Amino acid sequence: MTFEAAMGQTLSGISVGMVLFLIAAGLSIIFGTLKVLNLAHGSIYMVGGFLCYGLTTTLATIPGSFWWALLLAPILVALLGGFLEIFLLRRIYAQDMLYQYILTFGLILILGETCKFIWGVGYNTVPVPWPVDGKVSILGLMFPVYNLFLIGCGIAVFVGLLALMRFTELGRMIRAVTYNREMANALGINVPRVYTGVFMLGCYLAGLAGALMPPMSVVALGADMSVIIDCFIIVVIGGLGSLPGAFLGATILGLMNAFGIYIIPKLAVAFAFMLMIVILIIRPWGLMGKPE
Amino acid sequence: MKNWATQIISVKWGWLGILCIFLLILPFILPLSWVSLATEMLIMALAGCALNLMLGYTGMVSFGPAGLYAVGAYTTAILLTRYHAPFWGAVMAAPVLAGIAGLIVGWFCVRRSAVYFALLTLAFAQIIWTIIFQWYDFTNGDNGIVNIPIPDFFSLTNSYYFSLGVVAVCVGLLWRIVHSPFGKTLQAIRENPGRTEFIAIHVRRYQLAAFVISSFFLGIAGSLFCVFSGSVFPDYAHWAKSTDMLVVCLLGGFYSFPGPMIGSVVYIVLGKMISKYTMFWMFFLGIIIVFLVLYMRNGIMGFLGEKFSRGSH
Amino acid sequence: MRPVSIFVVITTILIVLTIGMAAPLQAAEKKPVVVGFIHSMSGAMSMYGISSEAGGQIAVEEINAAGGILGRPLKMITRDDKLNPEVGLREAKDLLLSEKADFLSGTISSAVALAISNHVKREKKIFIVNISQSSSITEENGHRYIFRIDTNAVPYWGYAPAIALANTWKDKKIVSLGFDYETGKNSLKAFKEKYFQLIPNAKIIDELWAPLGTTDFTAYITKIANSGADAFFLSCIYGGGELAFTKQAYAFGLYDKMHAIQPCAGDVETWHGVKKGEPYPKGTLATGRFPFWAIDDPKSKSFVEKHNKKVSFYPSYGAMNQYVIMYALKAAIEKVGGVDTEKIINALENMTLDTFVGKIPIRAYDHQAMMPTWYGIMDFSPSLPFPHLAKTQGVMGEESYHTVEQIKKLRQQK
Repeated sequence: MTFEAAMGQTLSGISVGMVLFLIAAGLSIIFGTLKVLNLAHGSIYMVGGFLCYGLTTTLATIPGSFWWALLLAPILVALLGGFLEIFLLRRIYAQDMLYQYILTFGLILILGETCKFIWGVGYNTVPVPWPVDGKVSILGLMFPVYNLFLIGCGIAVFVGLLALMRFTELGRMIRAVTYNREMANALGINVPRVYTGVFMLGCYLAGLAGALMPPMSVVALGADMSVIIDCFIIVVIGGLGSLPGAFLGATILGLMNAFGIYIIPKLAVAFAFMLMIVILIIRPWGLMGKPE
Repeated sequence: MKNWATQIISVKWGWLGILCIFLLILPFILPLSWVSLATEMLIMALAGCALNLMLGYTGMVSFGPAGLYAVGAYTTAILLTRYHAPFWGAVMAAPVLAGIAGLIVGWFCVRRSAVYFALLTLAFAQIIWTIIFQWYDFTNGDNGIVNIPIPDFFSLTNSYYFSLGVVAVCVGLLWRIVHSPFGKTLQAIRENPGRTEFIAIHVRRYQLAAFVISSFFLGIAGSLFCVFSGSVFPDYAHWAKSTDMLVVCLLGGFYSFPGPMIGSVVYIVLGKMISKYTMFWMFFLGIIIVFLVLYMRNGIMGFLGEKFSRGSH
Repeated sequence: MRPVSIFVVITTILIVLTIGMAAPLQAAEKKPVVVGFIHSMSGAMSMYGISSEAGGQIAVEEINAAGGILGRPLKMITRDDKLNPEVGLREAKDLLLSEKADFLSGTISSAVALAISNHVKREKKIFIVNISQSSSITEENGHRYIFRIDTNAVPYWGYAPAIALANTWKDKKIVSLGFDYETGKNSLKAFKEKYFQLIPNAKIIDELWAPLGTTDFTAYITKIANSGADAFFLSCIYGGGELAFTKQAYAFGLYDKMHAIQPCAGDVETWHGVKKGEPYPKGTLATGRFPFWAIDDPKSKSFVEKHNKKVSFYPSYGAMNQYVIMYALKAAIEKVGGVDTEKIINALENMTLDTFVGKIPIRAYDHQAMMPTWYGIMDFSPSLPFPHLAKTQGVMGEESYHTVEQIKKLRQQK
């Protein structure tokens, strides 16, 4: 493998990893604070994608329609998340994890069929928006600017989230609730509202990922199922509830997929699961999580 | 008014007898398509009861029972097609191999608890799925194995009776296990693992035993389905199938022994009925599942149990 | 067991029975000819299912408007296999048992097709495939009760593109990318078989395999771009996956860097959302099976119109195949005077189908209709608003299929 080839694989692996990071970050935050394993997170991502497509085509006459869609779709998705949290999830926090798993599985079916009902069964695509629609030459390899844009977005969101958690009042509240729910409640923090807020934030991230994906891929049914397993792997490797962990896990998975096709393509798929198992057994709180 | 209701119900062996007679004469009173459906329900009921040994009785939430089910199904399939093994050998090998797989997988999984245990079972089930899907030369990959040489004796009706017999025996065995001291210990572990450890019960060993027994019976269910359907596919190990089994247990009520059996009947009929009327049947299935989790957490058995216990006072 | 539970079990069963038995009674008129149609009506491949169903329904409506088959109405019952062989098999069984279907047809997934094929062999009922491409359906696993009125992976993804490439660019260094499953692997095998025969010193310098159903090909594209090949060949990547690949490859400038051979690109349903200026398979060598824009038959044009009216998009080859299948069954039933399976099989074996793409014989040995494959270059043209096989350069028929001798050998090896 030449250096150029390695560079190419690295960049492509990371750009895909960044989108996965956004989804996994949402899943991780939701698990860290609410202790809910949200199986429907992939569906939320898919809804974000469909909304992006829907808004881009509806607003096609307005210049920069994609950017408006990128702005609005995650917000709409976050609102949907809030609705789901208040009316459905809130009732099962006290219950066993099994109920959450099955409830969110039911949500997968509901959300998936709703997308099918609204947008039909075809494949939909969104053109790459100006000004990130060119190509650049990196060491002789043509690389789409949009993929670099994705890397930039991922890093920006990561830094933004870290800043949110560390330096803002809201971040402090979230961390307090994550650390000790009862104590936070006793100190006057409106815990249910924080829960709703965190869930909405997680959904916002998934929706953002969903909106960023269409220009470089297709929007179609079935994306929910394929993405959720990857997310689980990332979140386990990185650490349930850890934001830097999600970033690290996503980068690892993205690079593993990119380089795996060079080494042993057949086992590349199983490799990710094996890594997941190894981590769960020797260090279940993940590479960057904290033991409970 | 409630007295005569409880009196009729309390004649429990009478009801059991009626059920047995009904199941025995089913192929003679119902059209063939129902016999096929009934066989599927029986097999799913066994899978549900097997899973419930871990889920309801020991409190171990597994996201990957379908993996062991598929091991059973594929064992029978591969032995029959690739090695031309005798029929009974192939069928009886299925639970053995599933049990061994359960031992290996379970050994790793019981090292962790709660959510990590669940994720481990999911990861292993996905590995099993990946192996089946990728190892094309051995398992025929995504095409599955069709044309399995099941002896001609196994017409639809005979497959039904075969499944009925095997499931009855297995359910009987599970019943014995659950009501034995071993079973009681499992329930103690479910209620409070810490305390149980404290009274010198090696909790992890019991959990592993439950895992292995569960896998054994899941393997039988898989093998039965292979005989019934004449074909096996990688999706038998997919996490969506695992979720089907979990829903079946939840629907029927996993704190009761016959819960998974009732859940199996209702789930399969619901799926069939709804899909006949609408293209968006998964939507309605999702709604039902959500409704179930929010309002009927103990399943049908739990729901009815409450009603009747109130009535008998 | 608590007494409540037995009671509950009995009651459940009785309720279930009552609901099930409340099935509508059959009207006592002329018994219809029932065709059970199983396809992917939901999920990533549902466009093919919906399109094929539309094609079949158009035929049903036309036939019934003209008096039916021997005075009996034709009825098509659709079931969703969800791209899952277990579900497809269950639906097939149900169609035969409860709906008393006389014939089964459909499927896009080869796994579903093989499962149903195995079942109809036991039940001695006819199953006619309209899309599933795995050659093993009619070759290694072929039998008396299975027919295919469509191409299969050998001509469509293998021999035809090989012959096409040998007639045009004759590239020597090729890198391949395919979905990692049996049909994908067999398609590449067929392509290599034929191409190396025609261009002896050609080489596949790298074989890449992506997990079935993936929509992210970035890592593979960078590898292809760095491979130093003259051309890349896509094996079995179609539908939504192909659209995603094209977008990504276009963004990486791959179509400018080397020749592209995308056999499935001739299928219109992949591209009909793509407008001029958007990524498309520029200058790609592709194969196609129903280039209706180039067919000057009024019946074909009317079919395209009816399909558009039904489902608001242009017909796929699957729709055309299903249309042909209905008429083929009609012809066979009228010829033998009834729906007797064995007689219908004999009639079909010696039949020549009257289709929009020509007069096509059904080969008796493997029950495969010799449907043709066109090849050409993908581009925009005034005929359609989306990219298609704008310049068709040739068409291949029986010569692009495995010969009967080859199939005999494959069946013996099994």
